[in-house]
Amino acid sequence: MAHLFQVGAGSGGMPVLDLLCRDERIHRVTLVEPDIYKPHNVERHLFALRDVGQPKAELARQWLRQRRPDLDVQLLLCDLTDPLHQGAIHEVLEEADLGVCAADNEEAKYHFDALMRRHGKPWTLGEVLSGGIGGFVHCFVRGGPCYGCVASYLQRTVRVDDAPPPDYSAPGHTQAELTIPASKASIAAIASLHALMTLELLADPTGYRPDFTTLLWTLRRVEGVFDEAFHPYRFRIARAGDCLTCMARPTPASLEDLDVALDEALARLADV
Amino acid sequence: MESSSNLLDSEAGKRRLLSIEIPVIERYNEGRDPAYRIRLTRQGGGLLLRYALKPAHNRYDLETRLIASYPTVPPETRVLTPLRHCPHLLEGQTLCLWRQGSTRASSRWDPSRYTCVFAIQAAWRWLACYEIWHETGDWPLPEAK
Repeated sequence: MAHLFQVGAGSGGMPVLDLLCRDERIHRVTLVEPDIYKPHNVERHLFALRDVGQPKAELARQWLRQRRPDLDVQLLLCDLTDPLHQGAIHEVLEEADLGVCAADNEEAKYHFDALMRRHGKPWTLGEVLSGGIGGFVHCFVRGGPCYGCVASYLQRTVRVDDAPPPDYSAPGHTQAELTIPASKASIAAIASLHALMTLELLADPTGYRPDFTTLLWTLRRVEGVFDEAFHPYRFRIARAGDCLTCMARPTPASLEDLDVALDEALARLADV
Repeated sequence: MESSSNLLDSEAGKRRLLSIEIPVIERYNEGRDPAYRIRLTRQGGGLLLRYALKPAHNRYDLETRLIASYPTVPPETRVLTPLRHCPHLLEGQTLCLWRQGSTRASSRWDPSRYTCVFAIQAAWRWLACYEIWHETGDWPLPEAK
């Protein structure tokens, strides 16, 4: 019997949640999702057009209850990083067995990582690449690399984009990042791998030690990026001793002492 | 409670500042001419670093902002000293140091390896390029067009 803590019920998160909750070992789910279901979501989502305008989290709960009436589904309709809700999130995490991150922004991923490391809980993360050309599935276990270690390694070593460098030669003009939406089929493929890896973890949340940290699965051949479609790359990424995200650092233990030390340091550096 | 999203309002943000960012700033300042040291002030939920750089002939005054979502979001550096319009200079004399965008693949910024002093070193390199461009018309580093 396991308690799943999941962030995100978007087009990538919802199929993962659906696949996981078909497994009767999961008896409780806490879902963090603040967004409203919008018309542009319909093309890639499990929910119907008539559901537009309702919170995705509520729709997810209805979806799950129609299939698993016995499942205990708790919702947190908030942003994972919202300081006002950190107390509630920490309380839930005390009781959770494993986490699933289906957030689509870096800030939420780093925050999820910090929460899971603090509570010593294993978790998985799925990422669909721009254009649906492939995707990553990662597994994080206690004592292993953090999301910062993995992201840093992949940023340095794996090319997943054939976009040319932005042209900044026109003074005063920034260029918006170009992301190409992935198809529902691509999202479903990566979501299925994400769910499979999470089910492996579910079998033994504290003892599971996969022989890789990250799986990159290509879905399309892209000149200069992926030589072939449907090719798996496994990455065994070690915890980086100098990772600024997870390295142990001596700081005051109590919050009060931390505030005092920080105030002193800022005062010292205000007028050097 | 821990939150990585607010640099000055969260335990994680405060610990990052106290154990990583402030020590590297203090090391940077150590033994340096006072006119070129980094001065630090609070600004909203983040911090503002004010400093001067002299990569070659000229001295430039700069500021680097660590916004509330730093270090996930890269620091933003702008030159206060008036510059000629040139490549890699964004609105408000903000330096183009990292690629625009929010995904891991699209950014050169790496929060697990870089500190705010890395951003200052990047600004120094940018200004060195600017001075060469000023003299020759060519931007010497190839990583962006």
